Amino acid sequence: MSFYKKFRLHKKDVHSPKEKNPEKKRVGFFKFSCCTGCGFELAYFQRSLKETLESFDFTFFRLASSAGSPEGPFDLALVEGAVTEPFQIVEIKKIRAASKVLYAVGSCAIVGGIPAIKALAPEMEVERAAYRERLYEMSSTRPHVIGDYVKVDGCIRGCPPGERDLEEALASVLIGKEPEFIEYSVCMECKMAGNACVLLEDGLPCMGPVTNAGCGALCPAHHRACYSCFGLMGQANVPALKGKFRKLGFTEEDIEKRFFTLFGALGETGQ
Amino acid sequence: MRIKTEYLGRVEGEAGVRFEIKNGRLAELKINIWEPPRFFEGMLVGRRYDEAPDIVARICGICPVSHMLTSIRAIEKAIWFEPGPETIAARKIMAYSQIASSHLVHLVMLALPDYEGKSSLMEMMSARDGAECGKNGETEKAKKTKKAKVKDLLKKFINVKEAFNGITQTFGGRALHPVSMVVGGFTSFPGEKEIDRLLSGLASAEDDLEDIAGLISELKPPRLETASELVCLSDDGGYAINGGRIVSDMGLDGTEEEYEELFEEKEASYSNAKKTRLRERGQIMTGALARVSLQSRWLGEKARKPAFSISLSSSSGKNPFNNIMAQAAELLHFWQECKKLLEASGAEKQKKQKFPGRPPAREGEGRALTEAPRGLLYHSYAIDRTGAIRKANIVTPTAHNYLAMEQDLRRLIEDNIDLPKERLKSLAGMLIRAYDPCFSCSVH
Ligand code: SF4
Ligand code: SF4
Ligand code: SF4
Repeated sequence: MSFYKKFRLHKKDVHSPKEKNPEKKRVGFFKFSCCTGCGFELAYFQRSLKETLESFDFTFFRLASSAGSPEGPFDLALVEGAVTEPFQIVEIKKIRAASKVLYAVGSCAIVGGIPAIKALAPEMEVERAAYRERLYEMSSTRPHVIGDYVKVDGCIRGCPPGERDLEEALASVLIGKEPEFIEYSVCMECKMAGNACVLLEDGLPCMGPVTNAGCGALCPAHHRACYSCFGLMGQANVPALKGKFRKLGFTEEDIEKRFFTLFGALGETGQ
Repeated sequence: MRIKTEYLGRVEGEAGVRFEIKNGRLAELKINIWEPPRFFEGMLVGRRYDEAPDIVARICGICPVSHMLTSIRAIEKAIWFEPGPETIAARKIMAYSQIASSHLVHLVMLALPDYEGKSSLMEMMSARDGAECGKNGETEKAKKTKKAKVKDLLKKFINVKEAFNGITQTFGGRALHPVSMVVGGFTSFPGEKEIDRLLSGLASAEDDLEDIAGLISELKPPRLETASELVCLSDDGGYAINGGRIVSDMGLDGTEEEYEELFEEKEASYSNAKKTRLRERGQIMTGALARVSLQSRWLGEKARKPAFSISLSSSSGKNPFNNIMAQAAELLHFWQECKKLLEASGAEKQKKQKFPGRPPAREGEGRALTEAPRGLLYHSYAIDRTGAIRKANIVTPTAHNYLAMEQDLRRLIEDNIDLPKERLKSLAGMLIRAYDPCFSCSVH
């Protein structure tokens, strides 16, 4: 479905007809410490690619263009990745100051994601496994989410995010409304999809009850337990699920050190 | 004269390049990979063996399947698990479709703008290049045809990309960071109907794919000859992707078990990525060009058509700019291989078995090499009795190519030292992009 149709927009709502040369919205896309997957996801934004390019000017998007300046100003800044280096702290503040709206994109930026696993052990112990000579000059810090440093106007969750929230983000900026991002559990999506429950029926450690939806309950649909790649949702009942896992016979070690730390190494903060 | 690009565009990850020309000679040259390290080798320590594939997928947003496949095979070797033929075939399909998607993105979105003198595909499409076109004496009409051509290319690109992405997505649950491919096999397999849908997707993309490959094969890459040894995997059963012997154009022949004895990694003072070389031999070049040059006997007939075979002659295999030609040839090859494998899997009428669950932990060590889109990828793991990872080592294609990239860039600048500053700068970017580097991978 097209971008415009989906949001029941008409082109005339978006650009007032009086404007002959409607200014396109200026978007900056910024990468911090991460896999660039969110960037690729946006670049592949295939079904809506044409509409997206008609309404937005990607004035900074290094993955897609060798031109453009990170200075802004931007109507919308999209930021992927966690903060793990001191220079990034300066950068994120500059980006915030140059942008009207700033959305964090992806689990790395929102809950710490995979890079945050580093926070589970003393910094140097983790770094030692990868570097020898340069170990003592590494300035890598404990991973932080974008919201620890600057105000974030919305979270496009996922690893990588689903198309729906990406579209919602762009649409909200286009028509100047508050975005409504998905904020319920994977279980809800799972039940709507009519999947068999892998937690109840197969005893698999499914994180669906506490994980933010948006993937369409992908893992249960493929007969595997959700591993929480979209991150914990707000108001997740974590103790209840931990109790359930205990009853299923999972060890305390598995519960504390595995399931809840793969995409939740920074704890329940970062929400 | 100092020439510096702080943040290279149209490559995956963060890196810059700088060099200095003094009295008509190249004084210093560095590719500075400042992509922040995430210390995957450290993060993996203490995690359970079956978590590794989901973790290492996040090394890279364009080749997650390669990292998953390599870690899965290394871990399965460590725990003495042998996958069945159905799993092996499905893993091939995952690898082929991902490499094809990655090549497609590189060719059309990242590399092609260099040949058009543009900063991006978006700029190639944009209407506001009037002044520039006028300057070159292009008429309004020529401009319109050009724009229509780019729009047409974009349509074809999306069509082909959806066909290949659709395959990865159907087998893996999603194309990026797939979920159903795990240690022990696949938690689900697509049904016959889905296979049919994928096959018709491939069929409808055939013409567009040939057009794109044709377009690439007509480009005129700059001349350059690398001094690097071309290295890739080799297998007696076909085009090697997931495992095989390590071979080169200079007579190297080793096994994946011997990898750490054959190669060495060195930290660089100015870069977060390490430089990998063959011990006592030196720099290597790995990736599509090395594969196509050394494994040409296995390429399907589609990729062997004279129009696309530019990179198949031995002399052109040494020009790193020809990597895009090799990628185009591989696109055609993998289209054919995906089709073959899908037809075979569709023909299997027997009901797919339910996934029996993850194979149990066992103490051991495993090493695996695969061909990622950008070349040789190595993972090794030591796993203890409880299933916890005690040690991990990952060497990526861009770390393998790092030395060659710098050495080739030296040569390129020396060969063209009289060119103006801006031209040298764009030529440098173009060469680095020809390698299709992934800086997130290189540092990880
Ligand atoms: S959230 Fe996931 S897909 Fe996005 S950058 Fe981080 S690891 Fe990559
Ligand atoms: S399978 Fe998981 S996500 Fe689905 S209903 Fe059960 S617990 Fe929830
Ligand atoms: S089910 Fe859970 S782990 Fe799987 S894709 Fe969705 S959020 Fe991620």
